[in-house]
Amino acid sequence: MRETWVVGAASNRFGKMKESGREAATRVAMEAIRQSGLSPKDIGYTFVANAFGISEHQGHVGPLINNGLGIPEVPSATLESACSSSSAALHEAYVHVAGGFIDVALVVGVEKLSHLDTLAATSYFAVAADYAFETKNGATFPGLYATLASAYRQEFHPKDEMFGAIAVKNHANAARNPHAHFQKEISMETYLSSPMIASPLRLYDCCPFSDGASALVIAAKEFVQRPVTEPLVFRASARSGAVTDMQDRPDLLGIPSTRLAADKAFRQAKMTPKDINFLEVHDCFTIAEALALEDLGFLPKGTAAKESYEGLTARDGKLPVNPSGGLKAKGHPVSATGASQVVEIFEQFNGLAKGREVPKAEVALAHNVGATGGSCSVHIFSRR
Amino acid sequence: MKGYEEGGRLRGLRCRHCGLITATWGLACSRCGSLELEEHELALRGKVVAYTILHVPGDEFLNDAPYAYVVVALDGGGQITGWMPTVKQESDLEIGQRVRYSSSYKPGVQFVKETDAGAGG
Repeated sequence: MRETWVVGAASNRFGKMKESGREAATRVAMEAIRQSGLSPKDIGYTFVANAFGISEHQGHVGPLINNGLGIPEVPSATLESACSSSSAALHEAYVHVAGGFIDVALVVGVEKLSHLDTLAATSYFAVAADYAFETKNGATFPGLYATLASAYRQEFHPKDEMFGAIAVKNHANAARNPHAHFQKEISMETYLSSPMIASPLRLYDCCPFSDGASALVIAAKEFVQRPVTEPLVFRASARSGAVTDMQDRPDLLGIPSTRLAADKAFRQAKMTPKDINFLEVHDCFTIAEALALEDLGFLPKGTAAKESYEGLTARDGKLPVNPSGGLKAKGHPVSATGASQVVEIFEQFNGLAKGREVPKAEVALAHNVGATGGSCSVHIFSRR
Repeated sequence: MKGYEEGGRLRGLRCRHCGLITATWGLACSRCGSLELEEHELALRGKVVAYTILHVPGDEFLNDAPYAYVVVALDGGGQITGWMPTVKQESDLEIGQRVRYSSSYKPGVQFVKETDAGAGG
């Protein structure tokens, strides 16, 4: 396999997009290509993620993006893996480039849901659960993660403030991220007084519905030779599946696909959690950030919420987590999320994360979950 | 897909190889991969192992919120998810609560507390 790099990475401002998903996707793709110093003509394949494109009456958006980039002849395909769609696209891009099938790949993730009301958007999100055995029995997406939170609380008895600390920390980080949906800090009082959505999850435990687009340019080292940016070197690109339904899980204290993907990734990279300087993890809900840190092997079971409360995961803590603000506060445009995590790592490596720099940015991990864990991606990047 | 509710009963599958009992449809066992699955009638009673009170429901449950969404460990094996329309607040339920299946015209697998009066069970 060839050494493979991320040489360009761009996101727009998450939140509410006036333009269509297709326009936003094309714009961030052009920006990522410009940043990489390569040309659209260098691209061998475009991997697109746009799980809810149908809400804009648009499928098959890859050719439209390529057309807008002036490369209509380049092949494209859309990958769907719920909230991990663009990290699934990234994995395919890596496989194609590292395997020598193409020299340069474009990854584009985009989502637009702001034209829908909350009910319609909630129902779109619920599509990624098992309709026959979960949604039809009353589940919503917050409801499924709330169910995991209830099991976690029963077992480990964390205080509400410990989950509040995760929300407060991620909002503080997002306040310094120009791509973020919520660029404002929140207080613990604001968190504690926010209404229940799905007990024990309050409004401020939940990520927002966001519009957004992110793009990455993936290239073989031997093709680029002299990069104009500080490239991210792929050290691992791992994915895993696991039993989807809550009712079939042996326990509800974690996300099994995270454990499996992390194990693969650390073996690929020949690393352990101790080698990682900072992480972008899938925090669609505060409980998800706690579970991620435990399932990825960074903290023992039942300790992550407490450690977060004590400052371990703050931007200047020993283990910075979600310096971008995470899904929780940067926002969660479903199919852009996985790629946007890598945009944050790229900006940290390239000195572009002004005002939210982590103390050390040499090795970073990105963790992206599909729905409640039916799929999961773990990527590890280092400097050259 | 054939539903698992049928005439007041809950139908599931049992793996002849590893013994897994599941309510989820499949052609092979999700735990051991064996193809030797047999139809299995699930118990109608069990206890809550995890739950949430949903204040913002999905579109098919608009007029029912708040309600509880529950994961129930059934007596005799297997877990199943369902909802409890009569549970309206956090303090109305706890993990370990005994519940029974209550057949209804409404969608989804419905549970009530074991001690509650009413149809089914």
